[in-house]
Amino acid sequence: MLEIKPIFNSLLRSKAGAIMLLIQIAITTAIVSNAAFIAKDRIDFLSQETGYPEDEIFSFTTMTFDKELDIVQKFEETETMLRNIPGVKNASLFNAVPLSGSGSAGGLSLKPATEEGPDVRAAYFLADENALDTLGVNLLEGRNFRPDEVIMSASRDVFPEVTIITQALGLELFPTGDALGKTVYFGVAPLKIIGIAEPMKSAWLKDSRPDNVSIIPFVGASIFQKIIVRTEPEQRTAIMRQIEDLMIQDHNKRVIIGLQGMDEDKRDNNASDILMLRMLITLIIVLVLITGLGIFGLTVFNINKRTKQIGTRRALGARKSAIVRYFLIENAIICVFGLVLGSIAAIFMGQLLLENYSMPALDTFYVLMTALFVFIASLLSVVMPATKAANISPSIATRSI
Amino acid sequence: MLSMKNISKVYQTEKVQTHALRDFNLEVKEGEFIAVTGPSGSGKTTFLNIAGMLEPFSGGEFMLDNVNVGSLSDNERADLRNQKIGFIFQGFNLIPDLSLYENIEVPLRYRGIKAAERKLRIEECLEKVGLASRAKHLPQQLSGGQQQRVAIARALAGKPRFLLADEPTGNLDSLMARQVMELLENINSEGSTIIMVTHDQELARRAPRNIQVVDGQLADFTLYQNKSSDSVAERVQQSMAEV
Ligand SMILES: Nc1ncnc2c1ncn2[C@@H]1O[C@H](COP(=O)(O)OP(=O)(O)OP(=O)(O)O)[C@@H](O)[C@H]1O
Ligand SMILES: [Mg+2]
Repeated sequence: MLEIKPIFNSLLRSKAGAIMLLIQIAITTAIVSNAAFIAKDRIDFLSQETGYPEDEIFSFTTMTFDKELDIVQKFEETETMLRNIPGVKNASLFNAVPLSGSGSAGGLSLKPATEEGPDVRAAYFLADENALDTLGVNLLEGRNFRPDEVIMSASRDVFPEVTIITQALGLELFPTGDALGKTVYFGVAPLKIIGIAEPMKSAWLKDSRPDNVSIIPFVGASIFQKIIVRTEPEQRTAIMRQIEDLMIQDHNKRVIIGLQGMDEDKRDNNASDILMLRMLITLIIVLVLITGLGIFGLTVFNINKRTKQIGTRRALGARKSAIVRYFLIENAIICVFGLVLGSIAAIFMGQLLLENYSMPALDTFYVLMTALFVFIASLLSVVMPATKAANISPSIATRSI
Repeated sequence: MLSMKNISKVYQTEKVQTHALRDFNLEVKEGEFIAVTGPSGSGKTTFLNIAGMLEPFSGGEFMLDNVNVGSLSDNERADLRNQKIGFIFQGFNLIPDLSLYENIEVPLRYRGIKAAERKLRIEECLEKVGLASRAKHLPQQLSGGQQQRVAIARALAGKPRFLLADEPTGNLDSLMARQVMELLENINSEGSTIIMVTHDQELARRAPRNIQVVDGQLADFTLYQNKSSDSVAERVQQSMAEV
């Protein structure tokens, strides 16, 4: 009972409206599949595992303006004070905050800087033996720093002799996987790898090596000192609210700035990606709505133009369902051509984005899913006007001229 | 085979009620050829639409081949139209985007007839109306008379027992009108029952049975068919006198 052939022939004889719709479907498919793919890529990027319990961690910067103070000594007391706050799991002084967009990076080499040797890009965090626990990162191999290995100094005269690195960094330095116990060089300073840590991200998610992280046990307490605190997740907000008072109580010649949760830090640092994601989603919704409305409008127009024909078909024995089916099939035919054209355009467009804007290569799965989605949206747009058409009285056949 | 008893039809528009048919009684036997005449607005089309199940009626009883039409569902009526009734319209009502062949195919597809048989029937019907060579043409490429012949072919293709025609010659000149009439007479002689609404007295007189609709009611002149008289007005008077 499928009357594809006569519907197709009839479409060929009055093409104009159908072709406009076909083009609209093709454009929607091409744009939406690329937009959906890029959106998914951004979502993956934004929701990637960072290695940190972001909702438990917050950080702030302390600016000390007490010239007399033994700053190293004071910060040791401050750390202890912070750890004793109920609900705080751990706290540590850091030179930079992960995911925040500002930090330090350099090269770790197999040879001292005076000799030629391979050099691997790595972000480094300078912190004490509480660093891993404060960041909520576990060791995979080896051990944590001993307190006596941590250098506490306002100058850089003495430098630590050990480091803990992520597995990714270890594998890049020693592809055979035996990084533990080996020595690498930070400039001319030799560092023995005493621990391999679980994956964690550097200060920059968009770095060329976001997974290469090294922790060096050095606390160079400074006038502008960053402190990271990990709490019970449900107590973080409350603790953040009282942290400024507690810090000033601890020492009144300091100012607290940049108090922020790690998740907020990450959000601020990736604001442009979040904005892009929102725009892409809006684009997708708007395009699909416009196409849906276009199909709806064209079907209504077609029905108004063909009331007499529909009445005649009913008079000749078409059931209501046959009239609905007619419009569904007609739409499906236009759709199939539009979707084929749109899919080709989508792949072509993906190619252009890949070449000119270094976007990742479009996954054809997205084209197929978009095509399916547009197909369903388009059929749904036809159902209502087609049902209306089916209710046209067959007496129209004799009543209209 | 068709029986209407006290059929009435009321059109309800915003403020006005139009009684298009009232106490309408008619019996039609297999193989009859009936011409329906009557003044404009008297209810001829309404009667034909009800006979063809294109419109519901407001009251009375309508039996078609012993089926009570009033109790049928919309789908059952559509199927019955498809199987038993062929329609011929004043405006031809060919589908403009379909070729002649495809136009005739429409009711056959609705009936679920296989492609091979459809082809046979369509060719046979096009042959019968003398347009076999133009199967691929579009309706707009034909004259009015030719279009009406295609419409007749379409009505015939389903081999209906009933042909209902509403002013089939209304848009045609007299020569073409006569050709169409001859075609209908041939079809009738092959056994189909025909009810034809017409304004053309000459054509009406050629039909074996004439009925007249006046103000929504029926005046039947079958009995006077063979009296060589006379104008319609006289017949009306005669029938009035008999009642
Ligand atoms: N859909 C409708 N709504 C309201 N009134 C209607 C409708 N269709 C027909 N009528 C009215 O019903 C009456 C009968 O109309 P009908 O079309 O049956 O007349 P007719 O005999 O076929 O006339 P004509 O010879 O002009 O075709 C008329 O008064 C008409 O105005
Ligand atoms: Mg009429």
